[in-house]
Amino acid sequence: MGSPAKQEALEALRARIAAIENRPPLGESGADLRRKQVEGFLASAPGLLHEVFTPEERNAGATLGFSLGQARALIKPDRPAVFYMGLAHESQERGLPYGPGLQNFGFAPEHLTLVRTQTMPELLWAIEEALSCRAVAAVIADIGGHPKILDFTVSRRLSLRAVSGGASVFLNRYGTGREASAAQLRWRVEPAVSEGQRFDPRAPGNARWQIILEKGLLSGDINRQGDWKLSWNHGFELDADKSIARQQAAA
Amino acid sequence: MNWTQTRVSHGSKRQPERRYLVLHVPYWATDCFKRHDRTLAESTQPLVLYEKQKSALNIVAVDALAEKAGLSSDLNLAQARAAVPGLQAREIDRPFLEAAFADFADWLSFASPVVAVLPDVTAFGDLGFDVTGVTHLFGGEQAMLAEVLKRLGHIGILAQGAISSSIGASWALARYAPSTIATHEQTLEGSVLADLPIGALRLEREQISSLSQLGLRRIGQVLDYERLHLQARLGESFIRRLDQARGRVSEQIRPRIPVAEHFVERRFAEPLGLLDDVLLVTTDLALRLASELEMAGLGARSFHLMIYRVDYKLMCLSVNAARATREASHIDRLFRNRAERLSGEFDAGFGIEMVRLAATELSPLQSSQTSVFAEDDGTGDLHRLYDRMSSRLGSQAVLRTVWVNTHIPEKAAGLAPVVTAPETLSFPGEEEPRPIRLLPAPEPIKVTAEVPDGPPASMVWRRILYRFVKASGPERIGEEWWLDEFELSERRLLPPRPEDRRKPASEKPRIEILRHIIPSRDYYVAEDDGGRRFWLFRQGLYGEEPNPQWFMHGFLP
Repeated sequence: MGSPAKQEALEALRARIAAIENRPPLGESGADLRRKQVEGFLASAPGLLHEVFTPEERNAGATLGFSLGQARALIKPDRPAVFYMGLAHESQERGLPYGPGLQNFGFAPEHLTLVRTQTMPELLWAIEEALSCRAVAAVIADIGGHPKILDFTVSRRLSLRAVSGGASVFLNRYGTGREASAAQLRWRVEPAVSEGQRFDPRAPGNARWQIILEKGLLSGDINRQGDWKLSWNHGFELDADKSIARQQAAA
Repeated sequence: MNWTQTRVSHGSKRQPERRYLVLHVPYWATDCFKRHDRTLAESTQPLVLYEKQKSALNIVAVDALAEKAGLSSDLNLAQARAAVPGLQAREIDRPFLEAAFADFADWLSFASPVVAVLPDVTAFGDLGFDVTGVTHLFGGEQAMLAEVLKRLGHIGILAQGAISSSIGASWALARYAPSTIATHEQTLEGSVLADLPIGALRLEREQISSLSQLGLRRIGQVLDYERLHLQARLGESFIRRLDQARGRVSEQIRPRIPVAEHFVERRFAEPLGLLDDVLLVTTDLALRLASELEMAGLGARSFHLMIYRVDYKLMCLSVNAARATREASHIDRLFRNRAERLSGEFDAGFGIEMVRLAATELSPLQSSQTSVFAEDDGTGDLHRLYDRMSSRLGSQAVLRTVWVNTHIPEKAAGLAPVVTAPETLSFPGEEEPRPIRLLPAPEPIKVTAEVPDGPPASMVWRRILYRFVKASGPERIGEEWWLDEFELSERRLLPPRPEDRRKPASEKPRIEILRHIIPSRDYYVAEDDGGRRFWLFRQGLYGEEPNPQWFMHGFLP
């Protein structure tokens, strides 16, 4: 990318495509992206519908960690609130976000509001309500199984709400099925074996994930769908030596 | 007792003159039975209610027909049956009647927001209203009394009432000279009471018989008598009753529903039947209430929508706001959300004749700054969002973490409704690993571990085997030594039965994370070969009785 004019033209094109697709442009220039990688993995723009899939419910800790890590990067002084939502009767299945654990993870619990609904329609209503509030940075919703009500139309509604309100939605999904959806990004998240602690390799270390971007395009340095190993150390860290190198080699 | 007593201060500051309406519903108990039993209602035979007292069946309530036939509660059932052939008798159900009477009293708040059940003589029979400042809505006291009696007549309840400046006088007049409206002076002098029998003073049986021994049968005679003599003979309580009746000692009635200083209401000539119509009215009432609050410079945190049905039922919807508000559209929306939740239960009965919107928990609220320089950090939006969610989903559904000052880490954090919880305190911070998700109830697991306190090597949880490749711990979380043995044994954790686990509590959301604390647990963080990190604990020690048990308690990312 040589001349500034060409760069400008590219940006304009991206914006136009985004407008047509009703999706905010993800692409930022490589340097910006590199700067933000540490803070919020790919520093995805706000106002997106994400699906975070994990094959098994027992990985619930990993998906919540990943979503919270992404959501944390969206918190701004004028957008302080993050909502966690789920069905009340599923609490015992996966557990509820726990204050001291959030604090340890680096997510201040006072930013998090929990919403527990009785039914799926109420849950979707609550997500939409939260998205239309300008103080909300992100909504994380636990959705077990494949509820019929969550069809393409509903996901389209959610993604439009997210775009217009400027808050992101993370739908934590469990299982291997993938129904049609209007989500801009779909992640497949699995826990990965930790590196152990510095002075005690037999003790579990920082959180680690194996991430696959199944849907959606990212531009910049990482400009294709792919897989990465991420770890958490007061923020996302790419295991750059392994995956990025491999990505670039493949490219 | 349903009222408290205070002396009227006769100082320079004059107490505003209050007006009380007392309704006497002599046949309420039988009327209520008739409303619930069609065959009784259609019958032309007299009805009595009896109660088993020791071994006898005594009559405790009669209807108008039975009274006409000469029956009263002095008789027992056998005597009554002998006197009136074809008599119908039912056993009284006191708890039911008392509850129904309370509902009835709530419904009567359409007339005045301050209603109390007066249980002085019978638990159901007399109702007191503070009608100060509301009679003009009906076009005067006389018209108000007539209107209330007319409405009760429509639903088949015979009532009589009176209005005066004291509860005592109103009570006496309602029973012995119904439909009297006594002025303040008449009440104070006792002139309207003079012709009434002394029984109208709500006296005890012995006091009445002593008075008749003195030859005093009318209140007028008592008023002329020397007070000190009467006090010596009949006791302090008699003098108090006398003063209460004349309004010299004020009685304060304790209202059944919270008294709202600010309320607006609308009555309908044609009863409403649809929830949508009620909501339309609510929108209108919210606007009016908001402007009233604005004029008073107030905001409110609780709002109550009271829906009065024609057939004495009061439906009351209450919503709370996270912080004081007087924004009409917001109040309106809270009720719309709540109504949506209740739409299945909404039952207009024979129609809705009045809707009242009341505000409680008032606090001063400055007029909002709307200029471009107004500080706007979005927290107002957030609070409104909390309110909307809480009103639609229930306040127990929208929660935030609250910290409790204790060293027990799992008790240190709980969840509380956002609309009632205090602002969050900052948490001191915890160096030890803590799970990001905590199971509301720990689940028993099978673990293999080195004896006595080695880290877990594998576990079976929800019928799946996990092999651990890394583990850290133990971290011992001790018991709360300041609790005594009994409290500890009360809190000892019992493993949930397997069938409980599969159907988690659907009836009531369990919002307190782990309320049971047990003596001494050893916590471990264990990572399996797939990278999943679990928070486990062992309760008890190896080599001790009972055998230690393992529980799964949370997930780390």
